[in-house]
Amino acid sequence: MTTMRSMLMAGTVALVAPLAPAYAAPPDDTLVVGISADATTFDPAVISSRDNSNIAKHIFGTLYEIDPDGNIVPQMAESYTEAEDGLSYTYKLQPGLTCEDGEALTAEDVAYSFNRAGDPANAFTGNTPGFVYSSIGFNGAEAVSDLEVKINLTKKNPVSFGLIAEVFVHCKDSYEAMSLEDASSKPVASGSYRLASWDRGSQVVLEKLKDPGTFQNIIWRIIPEASTRSAELIAGNVDVITNVAPDQIDAVNASGTAEVKAVQGTRRIYVGFNQKDSFANGSPGGEAVQKTDVRVALQYAVDVEAICSQLLNFECTRATGLVNPPNANPNLEPYAYDPDKAEELLDAAGYPRGEDGTRFEITFQAPRGRYLNDANVALAIGQYLDDIGVKTNVELMEWASVYVPLISKHDVGPLFLLGSGGGTWSALYDMADLSTVDAGTNYTEWKNPDWFSGWEEIAAAKTPEEQRVVIDRMLEVFYNDPPWLMLYFQPDFYGVSKRVSFEPRRDEKVYLFDAALAE
Amino acid sequence: MWTFIIRRLLQSAIVIIGVTLITFTALQMSGDPTYLYVSERATDEEIQRTREALGFDKPLPEQYLTFLGNLAQGDFGNSLSYKRPALDAVLEALPATLELTLFAMFLAIVVAIPLGVVASLNRGSAVDGSIMTVGMLGQSIPSFWLGIMMIMFFGLQMRILPISGHVPFIMPLLSGDWAQAFRNLPQALYYLIMPGFAVAFYSISRNARLVRSSMLEVLGQDFVRTARAKGISERAVVIRHALRNAWLPVVTMIGLEFGFLIGGVVVVEMVFSWPGIGRLVFNAINQRDIPVVQAAVVILALVFIALNLIVDLVYAKIDPRVKL
Repeated sequence: MTTMRSMLMAGTVALVAPLAPAYAAPPDDTLVVGISADATTFDPAVISSRDNSNIAKHIFGTLYEIDPDGNIVPQMAESYTEAEDGLSYTYKLQPGLTCEDGEALTAEDVAYSFNRAGDPANAFTGNTPGFVYSSIGFNGAEAVSDLEVKINLTKKNPVSFGLIAEVFVHCKDSYEAMSLEDASSKPVASGSYRLASWDRGSQVVLEKLKDPGTFQNIIWRIIPEASTRSAELIAGNVDVITNVAPDQIDAVNASGTAEVKAVQGTRRIYVGFNQKDSFANGSPGGEAVQKTDVRVALQYAVDVEAICSQLLNFECTRATGLVNPPNANPNLEPYAYDPDKAEELLDAAGYPRGEDGTRFEITFQAPRGRYLNDANVALAIGQYLDDIGVKTNVELMEWASVYVPLISKHDVGPLFLLGSGGGTWSALYDMADLSTVDAGTNYTEWKNPDWFSGWEEIAAAKTPEEQRVVIDRMLEVFYNDPPWLMLYFQPDFYGVSKRVSFEPRRDEKVYLFDAALAE
Repeated sequence: MWTFIIRRLLQSAIVIIGVTLITFTALQMSGDPTYLYVSERATDEEIQRTREALGFDKPLPEQYLTFLGNLAQGDFGNSLSYKRPALDAVLEALPATLELTLFAMFLAIVVAIPLGVVASLNRGSAVDGSIMTVGMLGQSIPSFWLGIMMIMFFGLQMRILPISGHVPFIMPLLSGDWAQAFRNLPQALYYLIMPGFAVAFYSISRNARLVRSSMLEVLGQDFVRTARAKGISERAVVIRHALRNAWLPVVTMIGLEFGFLIGGVVVVEMVFSWPGIGRLVFNAINQRDIPVVQAAVVILALVFIALNLIVDLVYAKIDPRVKL
């Protein structure tokens, strides 16, 4: 029996002894990031999610890139020229570029990267073929010389240059020899880091190859649960986490080991006024919001700042339109919260309160769980509208299978809550939601001719200044005849350990090249 | 015995078909999955193209029969979000879930039985009351809440256990790298403690109560009294005579335990960032990744059936009255 006990003791010690290092903080040359979702692929042409793209950007270079201030700056290319007709861009590459395996990266490799992503035989469905190429009308790429590559387009689009900056570039020989399966899990890097290991569902480890990049290793840990991410950050096991839940901000800030950095994101959250005929004739509320006066009146009914501070734990500035600052029209002031004025305007628009205090009844549909605290935001807006006599029936819906089909067919509403991704690099990119009356993203089916005729003027503008005058005028049209009840740009919350310095960006891009140990 | 095994395998095939039919129908009833695979900005034409490409335009019976035909060849189709065979994704996640489930089963047995025995031997005492109170708590506390509380206490306050993560043991074992597996073992166990306990707490409580009541019943029977009258030590009476007979209902429960624990791991794997099937299925359901959900359900059903078969065989072994 004594022998048995001794063996058990020895076994226990043997098991416990190696455990001590498990709680060591990351070494100085390693940055650990906690994110909510794993990468699904490292094939540059298949990547579609933001988390996936954030990791991939450390592995693959791009011709140009968008900096935190929204400027489009050179990366692998050193300059570019746009054809006079706007149907091609020619990029001049930096000399001496190489890939992870030592292969020289030339114009031929860039052309191959672009053409591979667009090759119908591959049937890729990532962001590059699925969104970028259809937006810019990609029409093939060709090497003009060793260091010059030409990207051909079928249509002129003022935002093409910015969208091309999203396309990942890689070497030709390695990818030509690779199966699609290998391409998805064994990338050959063209950027600063290489994929050292990928333990699916657990972590992705990157190892530095060249500058830029401060840390030798970057570990992306997959921690889906927000409270667990916060706990790991507070414990000092991770340095940066994304998507801190608003209710955990105080706990992180009080920990003394980390802090939450909030940024006003680029996703525009708004309430749409659906002007589709079926809504115009379908209900009193649907009919009411066809009138500009009513839509303007409702702007004054909602206290957006209070919603931000109370429900999102963020002090926001109300949006003046669909364009992200700093590209918005600087002459426009956000609508104030003034319920008395809202009531006056509704009276004047022909919607006085009835005997029961109701002006009209309207349905307000909103997703649940898609955007930050969306259900509560919708309920709060419903209450604000109730307060001015607009009886609002809030319907909360499951996003993927219920809400998205309604949105896609423009059958949501007459009031509906939506968030639309935007950018910091171009007003036109944000405005493209309403590029034509019948655009899929014109969910409200707004038809103001002054807005839509502006696009021709933009195309005809010869200088950026001329273009800006038209943009500002269009944004004024949007402001005065609002198809949206303007709310806010959704905040993003990042938890950052005091061990490191990291400045989050507004556009959800988590680029860690400049992150460093705190001084 | 072989007749029994063959009969059970045939029954299993029917169970598997039933399982696939139910999951397929349930997933289809929640709407057109096409919208999950197109952008919010997609046009009607793009949506239709995607629907056709994914086969969602075909009648449901045809979709189901196609699925069954492929299933017979071990092909569950490609994961719609991972763009690779759904079966690969599930089999890759299976070892982590097995580690967690088996560890939880281990706890549910080795902790519950002594607790149940001690409670039964001290019936009506403070010890019995304490154990039963803990048992009551165990059956009342949701596992995800317990997990978060354990993270707060053991992970953040005391800093003696890792908050989240996983060190593989079964995977290197299966790939033949035994040395790596055993090098990982201490860390693997270390990372298993909190999630394992969070999953097992309910089962520990239930099994302890089961063992206690079963023991109380057996301890009152004639053969126990006879054993004591013959002067056998109390230790031998309890372990060799009473517990051996009280063991049968517990073994039955263990067979069902696996299915129950699998249900529990879904939430616990999310809380502890455990890269297992529970988390995979959770994400797949959110993304309506039907091939992955189907593959996971079928694989888990197969594992459940296999374990139950083993339990039945063990049952016959430990109770000679049972004939297969």
